[in-house]
Amino acid sequence: MTRGHIVIDDVVKVYDPQGAAVMAVDHCSLEIEPGEICMIVGPSGCGKTTLLNAIAGFHEITSGRIVMDGEVLCSPEKPRSTPGPDRIVVFQNGALFPWKTNLDNVIFGPVMQGKLARKEALDKGRAMLADAGLSGVEHNYPGEVSSGMRRRVEIVRALMNDPKALLLDEPYRALDSLTKSVMHEALLEIYYKNKVTIFFITHDLEEAIFLGHRVAIMTTRPCKPKKILNVDIPHPRDYSALTSKRFRELIEETNDAVHEEAWKAFQAGEKEGR
Amino acid sequence: MDAALRLGAADEAIAVLRETTPFGDASEALLARIAGIARRARYAAGARLYDADGAADDIFVVVSGRAEHVFKPEVGAREALRRVTRGGVFGWAGLLLGQTQRLATVTAIEPTEVLRIDTEALVGLLESEPLEGGHVMERFATMIQREFTLPALLAQVRRLSGPLTEEMSSLSLTLYRLSLWLRSPRPYLMLVGFALFLGFWYLAVEVWKLPRFREMPGLTTVVREWLSPSPTYGLSLYIAEYYQHIAMSVWRVAQAFFLATVLGVPVGLLLGWSRTFKEYVFPVFETLRPIPILAWVPLAIVMFIATESAVVYLAFLASFFATALNTMLGVESIDESYVRAANCLGADRWQVFRHVITPGALPFIFTGLQISIGVSWFSLVAAEMVSGQYGLGYVIWTSYVMVRYPTIVIGMVTLGIVGYVTSALVRIAGDYLMEWRVRELALAER
Amino acid sequence: MKKMLSNPALWRGVVSIAVFLILWEIGARSRQWMAPEFFAPFRELLGAIGLKKDYLPWIGAVPAPSVVLASWIAVLVDRSYWQSWYMSLFRVMAGFLAAMLIGIPFGLMLAVSRVTHGIGFPVFEVLRPIPPLAWVPASIIFWPTQETAIAFITFLGAFYTIVINVLGGARSIDVRYFQAARSMGSSRWDIFRRVILPGTLPSIVVGSAVGMGITWEVVVAAEMISGGGSQIGGTRGGGLGFFIWNSYVGGSYEQIVIGMISIGIAGFASSELLRWGGRYATPWLKAR
Repeated sequence: MTRGHIVIDDVVKVYDPQGAAVMAVDHCSLEIEPGEICMIVGPSGCGKTTLLNAIAGFHEITSGRIVMDGEVLCSPEKPRSTPGPDRIVVFQNGALFPWKTNLDNVIFGPVMQGKLARKEALDKGRAMLADAGLSGVEHNYPGEVSSGMRRRVEIVRALMNDPKALLLDEPYRALDSLTKSVMHEALLEIYYKNKVTIFFITHDLEEAIFLGHRVAIMTTRPCKPKKILNVDIPHPRDYSALTSKRFRELIEETNDAVHEEAWKAFQAGEKEGR
Repeated sequence: MDAALRLGAADEAIAVLRETTPFGDASEALLARIAGIARRARYAAGARLYDADGAADDIFVVVSGRAEHVFKPEVGAREALRRVTRGGVFGWAGLLLGQTQRLATVTAIEPTEVLRIDTEALVGLLESEPLEGGHVMERFATMIQREFTLPALLAQVRRLSGPLTEEMSSLSLTLYRLSLWLRSPRPYLMLVGFALFLGFWYLAVEVWKLPRFREMPGLTTVVREWLSPSPTYGLSLYIAEYYQHIAMSVWRVAQAFFLATVLGVPVGLLLGWSRTFKEYVFPVFETLRPIPILAWVPLAIVMFIATESAVVYLAFLASFFATALNTMLGVESIDESYVRAANCLGADRWQVFRHVITPGALPFIFTGLQISIGVSWFSLVAAEMVSGQYGLGYVIWTSYVMVRYPTIVIGMVTLGIVGYVTSALVRIAGDYLMEWRVRELALAER
Repeated sequence: MKKMLSNPALWRGVVSIAVFLILWEIGARSRQWMAPEFFAPFRELLGAIGLKKDYLPWIGAVPAPSVVLASWIAVLVDRSYWQSWYMSLFRVMAGFLAAMLIGIPFGLMLAVSRVTHGIGFPVFEVLRPIPPLAWVPASIIFWPTQETAIAFITFLGAFYTIVINVLGGARSIDVRYFQAARSMGSSRWDIFRRVILPGTLPSIVVGSAVGMGITWEVVVAAEMISGGGSQIGGTRGGGLGFFIWNSYVGGSYEQIVIGMISIGIAGFASSELLRWGGRYATPWLKAR
């Protein structure tokens, strides 16, 4: 299956080239296999969100190319890719529309694109929500349910469009660790049912190793892959993997690299990336 | 150590429940039912009541003694340690969304007696009391967030389900809220406030005849005039002309408000949505806006032959600026993540405008509309006073000129009432259109 | 400077204001713009909908910008023009200051004590919908001089806004600041001085900026009403509002426009001054 094969080829992003010339991404190359969970770990403000935004189409790139399934998303000729339902973003603070019910949120994609009539979309939406264990909250507004539930609804909203890839921008950053661990398992469960490529940004190394097939540790700004780790803990995983010997070994291997970059970022006084 | 409550002990239990935050203002009937499912338990000093990660089955209410409640660190409470004494409630983890395990370890410091209430039984009981049940859950939520300092993300209580809760009629809900309000000190303080105000007015003008107050129309004069079938000065609740004036003013405001909304909202939306449009139009807009509306009066009279239109124009102008500005701010304040998400999901520009921008700006638009109607009245009254025939502003001014002082006050009070009612109508329309926000704010406990 | 000149937004703004002025000039000169006779069929249409027929402004009757400018240059040397400025500014500042001096403590009192809130707020809310200008006759009866009567009205105008903003500001102070202060051993007075006061300052600043706008409205109206109404003796009242009204009565329409623009400038300048003062008082907000 070659669905969701993303190639990031020597991408450079410089903000405000005529002015302050801040380089956010420095000749970053990374290849993400179809159906893989690829975790991007790095300190805050290092530029990893810029990378995600470039893939999604929210920012331009200065040079390099990003290609998905053979189709050029952005290149020097077309510096900004067009956002589309083949790679859907799940946002850090959640972007469910507060003025629509959860069910209406979920069917938004197919209905807007005209792919499904409203009635069929509603049926499919209900089914997918039930699949994710969210049947009770269909007719609630996002503001009425917990943030953990909101994240899950947002993921269902994305999956309704049968995307090739999911781009997750530190989606669990604002959750406390109890809810987070539950969310991880929920995400994996969803992943096992719908094999999409997952491009997941986080600053939490444990989260990265627990979820990912591969973990790319990025340098602090400007960002490029410092070290790529193959997580050979077999899928399907559950929370017992967190205390397994192999997990601890992997953390030992990579902790130094992560910490080094974190320390550099701290000294550089990085502010939270926007 | 557990013993079912005997009849006499039920009163004790109700007394303790009254001292707790969640059950503090519940009805006797509900408290009796809760006491009915509660069980007593005693613990010696140093005994462990329960450990973190155990099953969250019972809620505990302290009757006497003291216990130490320590959250496990993963929970992220601002203060992990808390001492609970009589009236303290803990062990409510089972009430939180998605929680089945204990969040804390609790140890008795002194010999402690508690009431244990099974969580599921309590929830069932609350579900069968649609009005009070929801209220108790709200109080639990407040207590958990405020007194136990849990992060808000964790401290979300379960929704009570059940057909009764869903179909609560708004009438019974209003009546219930009213009964709660009457039980609080607020209505009585309010009466004190009004009594002070009206009392002072009465005394200063009619009894003590204080120097400057002497010439003012007194409270009794005004009231008598207002309620009289044949008023001395010509206007009272019984005179048709009174209602004509009200109707005239209201009709003018309605026209002005309608035009201002119909023109102001689209202009505001465009100003916020399209940068080019804003760059062209906003400078002119901002140059005209600081000119006080009433400074336009002479020019308006010159431009519009009839004073009627001039008056409506002035009210319209004020409304228009307020509406357009607030709408623009509303659009600009929409989090760009929503727009980005919509783009990802395949919406085109027009769909984003319809499904994201417009509903997203709605709260601001309605704030703007409420300001707009207030401003509209403001301008209308001034315009009527300066150059009108009929209308409440006109009434107030001519009453002064014709030395009919009590009528001035009647006019003012009528203005106040009518202004308030129209403003409330706008707010209610807003609440109706933005149900999602009403519910969101209710849960956020302002 | 160069950067500013090359900014397209700036040029677009200039263009639009220029277009506005040009249209105004043409419309005024032609005297035909939307003149009643000219737009007859359109007005019939409005009548058919139910709106009054004379809802279209006769822009032709407005004096042209060129005429206004010429007249303005002439007026700049007239002493009474600047006196009007002074009078209006004085009234605005006086009324506004009074509103702040009384409104801020009142608002804080309501915010801090639930009992005072219960007593005071309902009365406040009931009086608020009555537009300040509706108080003019009562004010004139009550206060000894015309000046104090106008001052009272301007005070009222700003008072409501300031109190509402103080209340809103106090209520939105994050409860954690209180907890932090208490856990560090602050007394109630300390908390008031170091948490509540600074915490409400941003809202007070916003409230002041809005209140300033309302104060100008009220001052202008009060000046027009008391000056325009010949029942009040003494036309030495002055002020820009009076200037406008007088110009209208006297038939010099250019001066009406001059007055309007002058007030616009004065109002804008005073709001900016306030905002600048506010930024000075709340330096921590700059960091956002």
